[in-house]
Amino acid sequence: MKAVIGWFRERLPISGGQIRDAVDEPLPAHLKQWWFCLGGTPAYLFLVQIVTGILLAFYYQPSPGTAYESVRDITYHVDYGWFIRGLHKWGATLMVAAVVLHQIRVYFTGAYRKPREINWMVGMLLLMLTLTTGFTGYSLVFEQLSYWGATVAGNISDTVPVIGGFLKRGLLGGDAYSARTLPRLFILHGAVLPVSMLFLLGVHIALIRLQGVAPQVPGTKEKHTYSLFPDHVLTELLVGLGLTLLLAVLATTLPAELGPKANPLSTPELIKPEWYFYATFRWLKLFSGTAAVLSMGFIVFVMGIWPLIDGQIRKRWKNSEFSVWVGLLGASALIGLTVWEAAVAH
Amino acid sequence: MADAQPEDSAPAPEPEAEPAADGDTRRDFLGRAGGLVMIGGVAASYGSLAAVAGRYMFPEPAHGKVWVYAARLADVEVGQALSFKTPAGASLTIARTQNTGSADDFIALSSVCPHLGCQVHWENHNQRFFCPCHNGVFDPQGRGTGGPPKDAGQSLAKYPLRAESGLLFIEVEAVGNGGAA
Repeated sequence: MKAVIGWFRERLPISGGQIRDAVDEPLPAHLKQWWFCLGGTPAYLFLVQIVTGILLAFYYQPSPGTAYESVRDITYHVDYGWFIRGLHKWGATLMVAAVVLHQIRVYFTGAYRKPREINWMVGMLLLMLTLTTGFTGYSLVFEQLSYWGATVAGNISDTVPVIGGFLKRGLLGGDAYSARTLPRLFILHGAVLPVSMLFLLGVHIALIRLQGVAPQVPGTKEKHTYSLFPDHVLTELLVGLGLTLLLAVLATTLPAELGPKANPLSTPELIKPEWYFYATFRWLKLFSGTAAVLSMGFIVFVMGIWPLIDGQIRKRWKNSEFSVWVGLLGASALIGLTVWEAAVAH
Repeated sequence: MADAQPEDSAPAPEPEAEPAADGDTRRDFLGRAGGLVMIGGVAASYGSLAAVAGRYMFPEPAHGKVWVYAARLADVEVGQALSFKTPAGASLTIARTQNTGSADDFIALSSVCPHLGCQVHWENHNQRFFCPCHNGVFDPQGRGTGGPPKDAGQSLAKYPLRAESGLLFIEVEAVGNGGAA
């Protein structure tokens, strides 16, 4: 045994102490509060999505003639296929919720402020990629919602000035939904988006390690710390265990269903996207296409550069509570539009 | 030899490289130029590869239109509408509004909502086309009368029609890349 360890030691010149130095950051005591564990939650759920996604890809066939049937096969015939699909579907729902809650926490505790502006922007990109991965995911099932969702998304891209047509053709593989569309959505969902997210997640975590965890009260330094390993890792493991339990219960009691198969000749009378797009869906009903898309793009852009805007405001008016009011307004608008869309048929 | 001067036996000094105007030697210049050429070559090769990948990812869309047979004039009565699917896969509605025996009797409206591309359907009780995706409403002539299409002044696309020898023809997109599934 010693010889084996020695063999590796000679070839991997890293000591346990060096690894500990690299990862074992002293964490401020406030991180012991559950609310501050939310950052690890989406990362854990992302891992669940990767594992269940790989399992689903063993049976899924991305073409209009086979996609729906292969999902039906997974759901009703493959052993435990319904469970794996349920875990993947609920994992996506919880992941979106976790990312949004994490962002809300970071926003209202001011953890995005100097010097952490870049990490907020990386986080915004991760949010956008999470939503896009969710969207491309339910587009793969090839039920009515998948087909019309992808058609609408293609046309939303088309309304973007200058590069719109390019984006639409890139997403759909032509001017409209065709046999070329599903393979694109599949490769985006299963490779391009998750690999991009893995990369950004690496940057996100590396920046936290480089800058240290944001203090609970900006500009102060906390006296009490505790170690990442094993204390915090065990806390996150406990959160992960709870999430796994929750996912298993959801996948069993509310299993992933299969709606009617895509029909390019008929948009169903009642059609709604997944809940996390309700606000955008309502927004699209309120304004003309270009106005709705451009205003949404503007809002996302402002969210992305908010740390810079906030920095300027706070330079001029110290201790300004402006960001809190903006945050409350934004959160209310998001919740209001979502509830509105959920409450009505059209 | 004993009387040989030490200067004679010493190797001749290498000729000094001619300094360039800014003090660089010719070797420095050549080294830098070589580097630039190499960077240019790498950029050109990867640029070409990117261009090829771009054309691969974004194929040329289909162009061109064709006239195709739609119906016999006598088979469609005034007030009647028929669904029509183009060779490229688009669906549309052809309705007869009058009876003069010409193509002007008919109106061919796309079933694709100009807002974000969902399928509209005819609501007989409301005498309107309705798009269930984002509540777009159109009158029987295809003009946007409610929802986002009205705000943006959008109408359902109209297809040109032609009558010949008692037959109705319609001009539609040719089959090509990117047709409907």
